[in-house]
Amino acid sequence: MYTLGIDIGSSSSKAVIMKDGKEVVSSAVIQVGTGTSGPDRVMGEVFKNIDLTPEDIRFTVATGYGRFSVEKADKQISEISCHAKGIYFLHPEARTIIDIGGQDAKAIRLDAKGNIGQFVMNDKCAAGTGRFVDVMSRVLEIPLSEMGNVHFKATEWAFVSSTCTVFAESEVISLLSQGVSRENIVAGVHQSVASKACSLVYRVGVNDDIVMCGGVAQNPGAVDAIRKQLNKPVIVAQNPQVTGALGAALFAYENVKWLPED
Amino acid sequence: MSTIFELISQFKAIADDPKKAMDDFKKETGKGAVGIMPVYCPEEIVHAAGYLPIGMWGAQGKQISKARTLLPPFACSIMQSVMELQLEGAYDELDAVIFSVPCDTLKCMSQKWKGSAPQIVFTHPQNRKHAQTAANVFCRAEYAHIKEELEDILGVKITKKALQNSIAIYNENRAACREFSDLVAANPGLIKLRDRHAVIKARWFMPKEKHTAMLKELNEAIKAADKAPFNGKKVVVSGITLEPYDVLDIFEENGFAIVWDDLAQEGRNFRQDVEYDEDPLMALAKAWNAFDGCSLATDADKPKGGMLIDALKKYDADAVIVCMMKFCDPEEFDYPILLLQFEEAGVKHIQVEIDQESTSFEQLRTRIQTFAEVL
Repeated sequence: MYTLGIDIGSSSSKAVIMKDGKEVVSSAVIQVGTGTSGPDRVMGEVFKNIDLTPEDIRFTVATGYGRFSVEKADKQISEISCHAKGIYFLHPEARTIIDIGGQDAKAIRLDAKGNIGQFVMNDKCAAGTGRFVDVMSRVLEIPLSEMGNVHFKATEWAFVSSTCTVFAESEVISLLSQGVSRENIVAGVHQSVASKACSLVYRVGVNDDIVMCGGVAQNPGAVDAIRKQLNKPVIVAQNPQVTGALGAALFAYENVKWLPED
Repeated sequence: MSTIFELISQFKAIADDPKKAMDDFKKETGKGAVGIMPVYCPEEIVHAAGYLPIGMWGAQGKQISKARTLLPPFACSIMQSVMELQLEGAYDELDAVIFSVPCDTLKCMSQKWKGSAPQIVFTHPQNRKHAQTAANVFCRAEYAHIKEELEDILGVKITKKALQNSIAIYNENRAACREFSDLVAANPGLIKLRDRHAVIKARWFMPKEKHTAMLKELNEAIKAADKAPFNGKKVVVSGITLEPYDVLDIFEENGFAIVWDDLAQEGRNFRQDVEYDEDPLMALAKAWNAFDGCSLATDADKPKGGMLIDALKKYDADAVIVCMMKFCDPEEFDYPILLLQFEEAGVKHIQVEIDQESTSFEQLRTRIQTFAEVL
């Protein structure tokens, strides 16, 4: 039995096909999100190179910011529940999840059975999210994919505030004009993201088993800053951008697993 | 007997158009209206003058522009909206405006009133719990000051008898509101959340005796109604307000029913009566000093968490939703205390941000949907 999870975020579209709620058959990521060609393209991409068609899918769960715009979905579940489900599947030891996506940052506390005990997410503010890093990478003229490598060349981190993306952008410009090295500014940007993310983690409670997911988890600089600020090990989930879609596919399976095979 | 639908439509029409409610009152009585700024004004004094006390709670989804030049960005959205309306002249038809100043924003707002109506500013005592006798005397003096200023501005005499009568009318309204809240809680699928809100909000814009009469009719209609199907979750809500309507719709979409509210715009105004005292101003003063559970009403014992947990048990509710007014620092200061009390008692809870100006609710939708899934 095949199920599909589709996660339409603010800046990327992700999909996962699972077999019997146990095995990932295919996954895909398109780096544009809701309101773009991303949702259609990710559906094409996830069926590419596998011997399945959309007709083979028994149940589809949509999640993410654009979850209500996925016409083919049988059900919509929030991305917080889906990330928790996906992370617990991959890392049953996880008790705290940090999910930093394009425009949201969340901290989720799990119990030993994978149930959500508490969760918090950022308010209407891009500070501490993927968009924040994206804006800064443009100002610094460093490709987003390089931000992590540049971070580790810093000798110290320059202070970049974590209250507002627009203010922080002007701070970065000011630091550049003062001749502060770009490496140190990058480290400061990641420190700023860490400070925002950790304030969420402190609100749900800090445990030893911390797993990070979402697009920002692919940035080793941001992960390093969070590790240092929490002074705890932080595991990066395997393929961290698709854990929401994975959780959605698992929820989809739970909806139909009791049905007889066709 | 009117149907539930007909009665709710009447309440909604009043809640959604305070200007018309005020004009109707003026036409009917030949008297005017006195603006009541949030929160906890002894409205009974205005009522005893024969004028309509009318709540000034801003406007939902209103774009703020001119007010930005007068208020810092961290003033709450109610005050931003009230300032914008002041500058547009929306309050110029009022005969007076009464300001309480229980928070820094209200204190500063009261000193930069831009409407043409005369304003009356009064202060609640901070020592109300540990020096109650002195606090009662102080509060009574402040209420006497409101009464005297109103008499001067309106050119009327507010008699002791009229004040006692108004207190009785308000107590009757409070009892009817409590009954309404309990009836809705007992049949949670029957009344939509936005309708519950409108019924209660309408009391800010109409004479309380009229509100009571309509509400008693509605209460009877609810009692006569069949039990509506409901398989959602029952919640207790706490905060300053629970608006815009879109927020209530998101609660509804996710199967939440409000069984008790601790909102400054709603239940906090009617959960306790004003006890009789030979001196009606002292009766009002004592009532405020006895009032518990609002971040704006100083109380070092912080009983709010316990009150919410008690309500949760009483109404067999599943969770507490803290509706945090954005930039309301007294409420924000209290939240960490609530959080510890909830965690200790094993109470399921969530905090959502309330911003009257907001027109986009996707993050709220995600939080509320997740909370429903967790419950």
